[in-house]
Amino acid sequence: MSKLVLKFENAILTEVAVGAKEVSIGRSPDNGLVIDNPAVSHYHARVFNEEGRLMLEDFGSMNGTFVNGQRVKMVSLKPGDSVVIGKHSILISDSREVSNPFPTNSGAKAAPKINETVMLDTKERREFLQKVAGAGESAQVAPSRVKVATLIVRKGKTDQHEYTLSNKLTVIGKSALATVKLKAWFAPKAAAQINRRDDNSYYIGGADKVPTINGQPVIHPTKLSPGDVIAVAGVELEFIYRE
Amino acid sequence: MVSQAALEIEFGALSDTGRVRENNEDSFRLAPELNLFVVCDGMGGQASGEVASQLAAETIVAHCRDAETNPVLPLVGERIDGVSQAANRLASAVRLANRSVHQAAQQNEAQTGMGATVVAAQFMDERVTIAHVGDSRAYRLRNGELEPLTQDHSFIAEQVRHGLMTAEEASQSKLQNVLLRALGIEPDVEVEVSEELLMEGDTVLLCSDGLTHELSDEQIAAALCDAEETQEAASHLVELANQAGGGDNITVIVLRHAPKFSGAMARIGRWFKGS
Repeated sequence: MSKLVLKFENAILTEVAVGAKEVSIGRSPDNGLVIDNPAVSHYHARVFNEEGRLMLEDFGSMNGTFVNGQRVKMVSLKPGDSVVIGKHSILISDSREVSNPFPTNSGAKAAPKINETVMLDTKERREFLQKVAGAGESAQVAPSRVKVATLIVRKGKTDQHEYTLSNKLTVIGKSALATVKLKAWFAPKAAAQINRRDDNSYYIGGADKVPTINGQPVIHPTKLSPGDVIAVAGVELEFIYRE
Repeated sequence: MVSQAALEIEFGALSDTGRVRENNEDSFRLAPELNLFVVCDGMGGQASGEVASQLAAETIVAHCRDAETNPVLPLVGERIDGVSQAANRLASAVRLANRSVHQAAQQNEAQTGMGATVVAAQFMDERVTIAHVGDSRAYRLRNGELEPLTQDHSFIAEQVRHGLMTAEEASQSKLQNVLLRALGIEPDVEVEVSEELLMEGDTVLLCSDGLTHELSDEQIAAALCDAEETQEAASHLVELANQAGGGDNITVIVLRHAPKFSGAMARIGRWFKGS
């Protein structure tokens, strides 16, 4: 079976096998192989098996699909071919082995002993972190804009109309610890909590109550997106970013 | 003071070499007088992993104890915004541990390259602060649901976070043990700190990767739910990890915020909450 190995520079990002079902490639999350980069069309190309051959078809993408340096519309692929889309490359492989993402110059670390914990050295680590950040660049915010996570009170009794989520832990409730102070008589001490993680994403989880986001109960801590409406203990709060 | 006195943390802990390794390079420290609990997992040849993990755990407890008696003890490293003083103190302690291990590694040739991962939890005022570096983890069990409180600083976890790999692909990867951060490798380290609300009946688990490589979240949750007491839970988790292979050292600390009410008071409490 053939495999598509998605690479960004030298780092292997993911691998997808091509079986009886075709693999679509593009920026939209519903593709079989998602490349989250502005240079990639939402539905860019597809790879499929036809009469024993592995085929690639470009869907008339804006920035094109290149195989071994040539821009292509429809070609057959063989193991070892390199397909380039934007800054990413896709290596065609028919082996079933797990690929090794380590550069060849770090041979000693390339095959860690079972359960032996190893550390990427400084240079490898810096390169890797740049690569993963680059791979997800379209999802990142332009650094010049400062966005402040905010809760706007849409319904219910609280001590303010709006709250800035500047702390790593925000408690919604009656407790002395609570940032979002509930005023209703029988409000719980801690109805729910919001955590800011180190990547500046915000997660809501239940405490004394099970909150809902847009009507869906929150069973596990759930990442908040702008426009989400949180309902808990008689209040409704909208999560937004203010610039 | 009142809330501090009311905070009752029941704890149990166990560290085991496992069934494959010859040495136990994990260390843990229990400092209930500070409500502070630490797990470290050492790495490095010639038994230096043990040295690193012991030194790291020891340094963290010592720094927090010093801060207790000396309120103006300076913080090591930069203050983190948006977290409590206690959280900043814990991060400071972890940074100091990094320096201690790094210096020791520089000074002794046999210990060159040694390092450690750490997860530390400190309870205060209905909150728990978690600080971690590397792939030692904290989990919380609340109402039977197990939630991770830490994200590993590892090659695999970083790819999952950026959406470059699914959790399932990650679980099958052969590169589970490749870290992006550890104590002792460089003169400075970035410490990840989080604060969590603590509810009555919550259980917090601190563990080294020897547990999480062998057991699924479901198995861990079941073991924590089944045990009456925290020490029983810790022993049971280690036993299960050994039964599953015991491929690495296994260390667990199980911490439970004991309910304050019992019997009639709890029933009245529940009645007021309307449940």
